[in-house]
Amino acid sequence: MKNAMSYWLLLGGLTIMLVLSLGGGLWGAEQSIGHWTGKLFENVCHQDPLRSLTVNGTPMAVNSRCFGIFSGLWMGWLAIPIIIRFSLKKLWTNWFLLLAVMLQIIDYMGNHILWENNNASRVVLGLLLGAAVAIFLSDFFQTKKIRVNHERGRKYTSTLI
Amino acid sequence: MNEEENTQALSFSDYLPSVGIVGVIFALVSFVIGLFFGYQQINSEPSGSFMSPMMFSGVVICLVSALAGLLAVWHFTREVTPYMTLGQGALIGFLTGAVIVLFSVVLSELWILIFDPDYTTKMMDAAIANIEAMEMPEANKQQMIDAVADSMAGGQSIWQQIFWGVPITGLINLVTGLIGVKVFAEKKEETF
Repeated sequence: MKNAMSYWLLLGGLTIMLVLSLGGGLWGAEQSIGHWTGKLFENVCHQDPLRSLTVNGTPMAVNSRCFGIFSGLWMGWLAIPIIIRFSLKKLWTNWFLLLAVMLQIIDYMGNHILWENNNASRVVLGLLLGAAVAIFLSDFFQTKKIRVNHERGRKYTSTLI
Repeated sequence: MNEEENTQALSFSDYLPSVGIVGVIFALVSFVIGLFFGYQQINSEPSGSFMSPMMFSGVVICLVSALAGLLAVWHFTREVTPYMTLGQGALIGFLTGAVIVLFSVVLSELWILIFDPDYTTKMMDAAIANIEAMEMPEANKQQMIDAVADSMAGGQSIWQQIFWGVPITGLINLVTGLIGVKVFAEKKEETF
């Protein structure tokens, strides 16, 4: 795997972020807003308790969509060593990310007008976006080797893990 | 810029313009959005809705500031070198997130110090009035009011705000910085 150190450092960072996003419930607090875990995320999330999942009865430090994004990113990142075994077409990963972003925008715009989203739908859409980002970035870790096939006298690219 | 120049080691001062310019612009944008929705919250009647102007501002600021890492990398590829490594993109993204937090905290403190010393108190009163208008059990309401009062009246110092703000904003911009490397940077062909 290429850039292995960066991969492991980021996996560590994403794991810590995901665990902390579970909020004060993990540390026995009654609220995440005002708790130190809530302070960590107050710049990046509205932390609406009604739009958040709960841990031990306490709303998480982030809302359900953000939790979905963090979970998707973490799961996608964990899967990178498997993903890079397959030579994914760059175009496919680009379109997947674009689709995931578009789905978020559509969900924001249609909510309360055409449909009512809920915690489950927000988590699923967030998961898709997070996973799409990880898949999009996966080829940073893919080792490409260009060899010359002397017998046939042409270049070809193969993937090494 | 030829490729020979691009292979030279980059120093911290090479990153500074991209990180600084994009970080300061996004800090200013976040500050203005926060202030706009903050005063909207202060001057509106308590609606009892969770999606108050401040909550909405949180969503907008998050979406806006998450793009900073991406744009800082774009600026770097145009102004310094089109060839970037993963680590350089990560560094630029993280530092841009840190600059956003740093400057938006400083701007907020300056606003409170110079223009509106009662801003925090007015915000807290408006938030508590909104919670009181919510339809929920009294015990939950009281818990939320206590939490809001603790978080706002606790009087976090500038350093505390930066300490709590930088890690997650930095990490999110680090990820968008990596996206920026993939989208905007050119790769050198690797042969073994």
